[in-house]
Amino acid sequence: MTDDTKQTPKMNLVGRRRFIPRPKIDGAKTFTRKRLPFSKKPILKWYAVTNPKTLGRERKIRDKRPLWWALCLPLVLILPIVFGNNTVIIAATIFAIYASINLMWNLIIGTAGIFSLATMAVVGIAAYTASYFSINFGLTWPAMLFVGTLVGLVFGVVIGIPSIRIENLYYALLTLGLVELCRVYVVQSRTLGSATGGLYGADSFIPEQFALQRPGVIIGFIAAFVLLLLMLFVYRLVNEKRLGMLLRTAREDEAAAEAMGIDYVKIRIQVFIISSAALGFIGGFYAAYFKGVSPSVFSIQTMLLMFAMIVIGGMDTAEGAVAGTGLVVFIDKILVHMGPNRIILIGLIMLFVTLFTQGGLLGIKAQFKAFRKKKKSQRRAARTQKGGEVMSEEATEIEDKQYIYYRRFDKKWRDHLKTLVTEELIEEHRKKPLGQHSDALQRLINYFRCQPLPDKYAIYEIKALREYQLVALTGVRGMPPRVVDDKIYTSLDKAYHAIFLRRMNDLLES
Amino acid sequence: MDWFIVITTLNLAAIYGLLAIGISIIWSSLNMVNMAHGLTFAVSGYCAWLAATYISPHPAMVLVAGIAGGAVMGAIICSIAFLPLHDRPNFTVRSLITTLAINLIGIQLLLQIFGPRMKPLPRIFGTWSVSFGDTFLTGDKLGTILTSTIILTLILVWIVKSRYGLQIRAMMQNPEGAALVGIDVRFTAMRVMIITGALAGLASVLLSQTFFVNPNAGLQPLIKGLIIALVGGLGSMTGAVVAAFIMALIEAVTATYLSGQYVLIGQFLFIIIVLLIRPRGIGGMLDEFRE
Repeated sequence: MTDDTKQTPKMNLVGRRRFIPRPKIDGAKTFTRKRLPFSKKPILKWYAVTNPKTLGRERKIRDKRPLWWALCLPLVLILPIVFGNNTVIIAATIFAIYASINLMWNLIIGTAGIFSLATMAVVGIAAYTASYFSINFGLTWPAMLFVGTLVGLVFGVVIGIPSIRIENLYYALLTLGLVELCRVYVVQSRTLGSATGGLYGADSFIPEQFALQRPGVIIGFIAAFVLLLLMLFVYRLVNEKRLGMLLRTAREDEAAAEAMGIDYVKIRIQVFIISSAALGFIGGFYAAYFKGVSPSVFSIQTMLLMFAMIVIGGMDTAEGAVAGTGLVVFIDKILVHMGPNRIILIGLIMLFVTLFTQGGLLGIKAQFKAFRKKKKSQRRAARTQKGGEVMSEEATEIEDKQYIYYRRFDKKWRDHLKTLVTEELIEEHRKKPLGQHSDALQRLINYFRCQPLPDKYAIYEIKALREYQLVALTGVRGMPPRVVDDKIYTSLDKAYHAIFLRRMNDLLES
Repeated sequence: MDWFIVITTLNLAAIYGLLAIGISIIWSSLNMVNMAHGLTFAVSGYCAWLAATYISPHPAMVLVAGIAGGAVMGAIICSIAFLPLHDRPNFTVRSLITTLAINLIGIQLLLQIFGPRMKPLPRIFGTWSVSFGDTFLTGDKLGTILTSTIILTLILVWIVKSRYGLQIRAMMQNPEGAALVGIDVRFTAMRVMIITGALAGLASVLLSQTFFVNPNAGLQPLIKGLIIALVGGLGSMTGAVVAAFIMALIEAVTATYLSGQYVLIGQFLFIIIVLLIRPRGIGGMLDEFRE
């Protein structure tokens, strides 16, 4: 290497996930934030951080979920249409319908924390009513959607009222019984098609000539996708706004919520009405899509599958409900060649998710982060030892982090110096306290000399050249030094050596 | 007084009581809703069938095989759903989901191994009958009523008198307090699950005298058992017995005087009325004590 070739140092990128671009903040520009139309919500939640390496300000996104939605929803719409055959598109349609149902269920089971299993009962009753009216009175499909919503609304009030009085678990079992009651009634009722295995022949939004052909299948899928978008909107409207916030507060502790002035009876009825009306709407859609309905909507098997979807994705989040539905529908409808094994697979995934995760499959990331944090702090706690270094709980209290590193360095320094102390070294100092020393002794003395002033030893001259005494400095201006002991040294060298021994003693004790 | 209704009521009440008491004990001592109880029911039915087909159709053999199958199933459910989860947050919901998943997997496995065809069990109480006026009391009904009454009485006495029963009752009243005085929660839970599994096995064999063994056989009894345990007040054994009698009476009366399709509706109306008057069921004071 010669001096005339100029070397540019290689700058490595540091930090985790450094491949993610972070936009720089231009101080010269005015800060503006785009907001969603008709609301105060920003599109993305940005926040600014200082990069410790470049000392520049950079922007990060606090919540990347909107990006994921924006990426995944178009894919869900486009991929089946472009690449899938009819089976895949029909599976995607069922996914969209079930995901819509699960979103509305999630409002009750997640946001409101009421363990209702009556979701499929609402959907089924709305679908049955809509099909019945359509077959017997010639209702068209928009009217079926309306009838479904109306039925859902009424039914929502009916099942919502007991939920206030009855305990969570009792309510779950009650609603389970309700679904079973609906199933038994429908299976046995002649007017509702017990002989034909369901009510069929209702009006549909898929034109008659396209039924079960590719255009019809695609129309059905797009309609179901629009339904999913609508339900996502309703979910967000309830969950993110005031009602959702009140519900989530009341979910944890009813008494505390009441003390804060939250009328939990009212908000629970409200959420039941909203979600049941939406479920009724989905029921109407269901009837219009399948041109009727069969008793299997009320079967325990269907309910178990729906429950598996919510559980696998993770309760309490929209993306959990949708992703779980996607996974389960994929296993159930696409992996048909596996036969009954696919139900076992779903059951195993469900077992895995409940035994090992806390927030479903989509909560794994957060769970892993928490786990890593825990391990990190455990390791930190295990690493810290006494003897000058800062303990981990103390470290959080110290404002100047430089001081923590100084203490750690100081400890290492002392540990090293302790290894240098020998009999010969002390003998060397006794013979010649001042002047040129061996390397080890010089290092020791350097350490002693650069100690801070408080409690530093000094020599007090009582009578010049004859009597000396050891004192310790207080380190405070105006405060006299204190006497260490009453021993009188007859020469300066002896006093020097006495200080050295004391220091050495302090060092070895620390 | 219609003897037919009395006999049907007693028969149904015996079987419902066996199921509901199992569910009720599990709920109150382990704080877990066992949705896999129906699977235990089906599995023990198959065990009894296997024993009857391959070993011997002797009544004692069938009964023992059914009960043993139920007990083993109870132990399996306990080791999957209770032991790994019982000290984790949100245990009640998670164990509910786990037992649901076990139920889902187990029924599919049964379907794959044995197929959906119904299997008959041998008549363990014989085929004789006694006539009461114009109705006949068949052997299986009398046997069911007697066996389950005896077993239920034994279980109740055991729970009230024995030391293990004391442990279980301690866990029912205060799980943490029970752990503090040295009761091993895991062992007691295992014991509870084995006993309730055995009860379900017995109920399965008894019910299969009238119906057949099939993979989904456990579903209806599970739902009925859950509902009866619920109406009785989860955790109250007397409440469960009373509720079993009332529900059986409603079923017998509606099935005789109206029609089979009104049975569930009648029972359901009864449940709703009970729950609206007493939100914790007929005997459900337990939770209030816990709080």
